[in-house]
Amino acid sequence: MTQSYEFRQSGHLNPALTDPATRTLNAEKLLGRWVNTNLETQGVAEIIIEQEGERFSVSVVGVGADGPIQWPKSRATALANLEEEAGQRALALSATFDFDFMRAETYLRVNKGVLVIVLFNTFRDHSGRSNYVNREFFYRQD
Amino acid sequence: MKFAQICDRVEIDGATNAPLDISALSGNWLNSNPDTTGIARLVMSETNGKLSLQVYAVGPNGLIDWGTTAVNILAAGPASRVIAGFTCLYDFGFAETVLQGMILKGLIVLAQIHHFKDESQRVDYFVREYFSLAHGRY
Repeated sequence: MTQSYEFRQSGHLNPALTDPATRTLNAEKLLGRWVNTNLETQGVAEIIIEQEGERFSVSVVGVGADGPIQWPKSRATALANLEEEAGQRALALSATFDFDFMRAETYLRVNKGVLVIVLFNTFRDHSGRSNYVNREFFYRQD
Repeated sequence: MKFAQICDRVEIDGATNAPLDISALSGNWLNSNPDTTGIARLVMSETNGKLSLQVYAVGPNGLIDWGTTAVNILAAGPASRVIAGFTCLYDFGFAETVLQGMILKGLIVLAQIHHFKDESQRVDYFVREYFSLAHGRY
């Protein structure tokens, strides 16, 4: 990659960012139904990641008081994950879930076959709850 | 109280409404990877109870100062007053970088989401790196 591109770090000039192979990274490792490894979770029970063409969507089921809570399906942004160990290239996703009372910004990646989701939760309802960060792990349930 | 997961249904009392202690994040955080091509250093500063971040990234000819931005601080849970992470955004015009940090075992695990807005055809990408506090004790 030439340095005619604007940048704010050397990583912005990584030749892999314009490599056609990066644009077509295989998403297979991310797709499917994922179940929380923690049977006792009080947070996210299940995640479904789907792909239609170049578009990805993420469906989340939260643990509710009287049964599962289906979150609104979110369109996800595909991200090249170039820094995995052993130089492997992979896909990661970012997705935002908007509720009237809360916003959850997330990123999702697969590490050694485990789906990891990190949620950055911001409350909008002046309930006094702290905005917080949480991380959960999922195994594939095809 | 509305919730989308049962862990968000919590009792809120006076202690819960106390301000977060942000001192755990203040300081000079160094990337654990000396060969990074991304962010080299995070400088977290506390002013009047608010936290701000200054990023120094690795460039071809030395460090690049991204300037200072306000950060949103995050606790460890909805009823927690213990700081556990932060988020912020840098908008460079040609690209946006979202930083999402999480404190784990004394490290900041920093997720960086880079989104290009120019015509360069660069793909959006994700990087996760580790930063340790330069505490100068040992």
